[in-house]
Amino acid sequence: MTYHFGRGRTRWLPYLLLLPGLIAYFVVALGPSLATSVYSFTDATGLPGAPINWVGLDNYNEFLFLGQAARDNLNAVGRTLVFCFFVTTIQFGIGLLVAIVLNQKLRGRNFFRTLYFMPVILGAVIQGLIWSLFLYPLGGPLSQFLGIFGLRSEFLGAQPTEAFAWVIAIQIWANMGTTMIIFLAGLQTISEDYYEAARIDGANHWQVFANVTWPLLTPSVNTNLLLNVIGSLQAWQLFLVLLGYRNGTQVLGYLIYATGFGQTSGSMVTSFRQGYAAAASIVMFVLVLVIGLSLQYILRRREARLMG
Amino acid sequence: MLSVTAVALLGMTLIQPLAAQSTTLRVLVHQNPPMVEFMEAFNEQFQANNPDIAIDMSVVNANDLSTVTQTRLSANDIDVIDMFGFSNAAQPYMANVDPPNWQQLADAGLLMDLTDQPFVANYDEATIADAGTYNGRVYSINLGRVSYSGIFYNMDLFTENNVTVPTTWDELVVACETFTAAGIPCMTAGGRDGWPIFVGAYGLIGALYPDQAALVEGLWTGTTTWNDEQALEMWSKMQVYTRDMIESGASGIAGDAAPGRFASGAVAMFPGGTWYAPAIESAEPEFEWGYIPFPGSDNAEDNQYLFGKYDQGWAVAANTPNAEASMAYLAAFSEPENYQAFVNAVGFIPTQPTAQLDTRLGEQVAPYLANFRVGFEQYWVAPRGVGQYANPWASYFQPFGTFDDPQTLADTVQADLQSGLDAASN
Repeated sequence: MTYHFGRGRTRWLPYLLLLPGLIAYFVVALGPSLATSVYSFTDATGLPGAPINWVGLDNYNEFLFLGQAARDNLNAVGRTLVFCFFVTTIQFGIGLLVAIVLNQKLRGRNFFRTLYFMPVILGAVIQGLIWSLFLYPLGGPLSQFLGIFGLRSEFLGAQPTEAFAWVIAIQIWANMGTTMIIFLAGLQTISEDYYEAARIDGANHWQVFANVTWPLLTPSVNTNLLLNVIGSLQAWQLFLVLLGYRNGTQVLGYLIYATGFGQTSGSMVTSFRQGYAAAASIVMFVLVLVIGLSLQYILRRREARLMG
Repeated sequence: MLSVTAVALLGMTLIQPLAAQSTTLRVLVHQNPPMVEFMEAFNEQFQANNPDIAIDMSVVNANDLSTVTQTRLSANDIDVIDMFGFSNAAQPYMANVDPPNWQQLADAGLLMDLTDQPFVANYDEATIADAGTYNGRVYSINLGRVSYSGIFYNMDLFTENNVTVPTTWDELVVACETFTAAGIPCMTAGGRDGWPIFVGAYGLIGALYPDQAALVEGLWTGTTTWNDEQALEMWSKMQVYTRDMIESGASGIAGDAAPGRFASGAVAMFPGGTWYAPAIESAEPEFEWGYIPFPGSDNAEDNQYLFGKYDQGWAVAANTPNAEASMAYLAAFSEPENYQAFVNAVGFIPTQPTAQLDTRLGEQVAPYLANFRVGFEQYWVAPRGVGQYANPWASYFQPFGTFDDPQTLADTVQADLQSGLDAASN
């Protein structure tokens, strides 16, 4: 008989040590997720003492098919995908570029690494406040700068497309540091011997990058792509802080928050609909799951092909 | 020995205040600077008179009030709650609608029944009935009515530019053109918060639809639509309001910063609710301003109404461990002297019969108080399935929204509403 961890105490101790983590995972992650899926079939309000009734697929039917609201919801799903695409590609590109630059032996590189990473440690509220002030249309720094050229913008209060683009930019600013750090860590694992060998073979900068750096960065590329895709699909905090509930800008994550907590407009009385919001959450979960698993499958195949 | 005694006395002095305040009363209010300032002063006074009670007041943005109320009630972490007036109850002609959050809270047994509390009698019966009673029981005492359909105007700028106070829509357009030609922005609004843009134009709806309860019923039953001829006039005027009257850059002004901008004399007018008056006075005490109903109609007689709502009220968590302290708090607040001070501070139209709005705002709204009406927003309940444009909101127009054609917007709004009505009738 094979004992994975040995015999006696050494056999059960690893399981015991895993137990706290497993309990924590069940309590704070799996349990609430399962509860959300159950809630999605009820009319739960989230209020203690309020009756909870089983409504079957009504919440899903309403979210996906009922009236114009359903089409607005699907538009929010589309907007979420657009947000994901732009955030992922731009953040990935800039993060890689900055990491490569800051991996060189430059003066002050530690300062710049800290500088570029700093937004990550700020909360969404602080990030939103900084950008709200920077983009203040009546005399804010960017407004004054544009004024020099006779240009002006309402920035976050502008047309939904422009406001949405600003949130993409701010999301990238807020999270690019993480992408950069992961790439930096990856770059530092690549042995200098490979570069030296490539240079001896006469490779130029692009050839070195394409044939040495890029393939050997595969684990970092995979990690960053997955983190960026999943993170941007679930984004909602910056939308809340920067735009609030505004037609033409909602993404799925923010729509779920606004619905679940009765927050659409400060001047209108709304309802608590956490059962309905739970159904919307499950829709988002399925979206993230499908995209995440597909991406992971593709990335693993690529990793196997490149790294063996 | 002397030093030991001194240390012991010092210790007793330090410990005494902590030991004396055996109850901490947790109060939740929304952000409204004059109201928060008043409440801080009131809390100090209350604590001085009740040394065994400490007040822990939390202030949240109005947009977050329902969320925080829900979460803190669920966590049994709040005693006294700031609650907007009871409104938006489902009517018999409505179907497929959700109950408003206050009703959900009462149905869930999370609000204390205040019916038999003596301080309830300090408020007028109509207010208690309209804005605090549900299923025959009192769950909230409402602290005042506000108008949201008027315009603050800068008296000095009107005089300097020889502009008469507008009483009709045409006069308002001319006034704005005059100010704009003089390089003075006509109106400002706290567009950063979203709702001040469309709430600023509620007077336009009121001027065209004086009976707003009938308007809501008409929309539900199909006798009124948001794309008929009358509505098209409203949308056309709303477009002028957002495009030509509100100053550029207003979308970046926070809701609580707009009164200060108006009081600075930078703009001629400020469409908004009466709750802004104390903030304007606080920003510039010497500033000369007036308040008029939004002249949305071409007929001056249609512009004599103020539309508004029951504003803030107090409710108490049913499961509070500090019920006695909560009742003492509300009783103290409801004493006529304290309530009068509150009304003076926040500019509410009083709901205690003995109180008077003895302020500049009181003078300004006095001619219209007999014509005060509860507005559309307090009657309207949307059916499930309506689209995102199913409201009479000026903010759908550029530069705040995407629309630049009244007919297109009117058709979109009606289609978004109709999809919900159709779903409700199926």
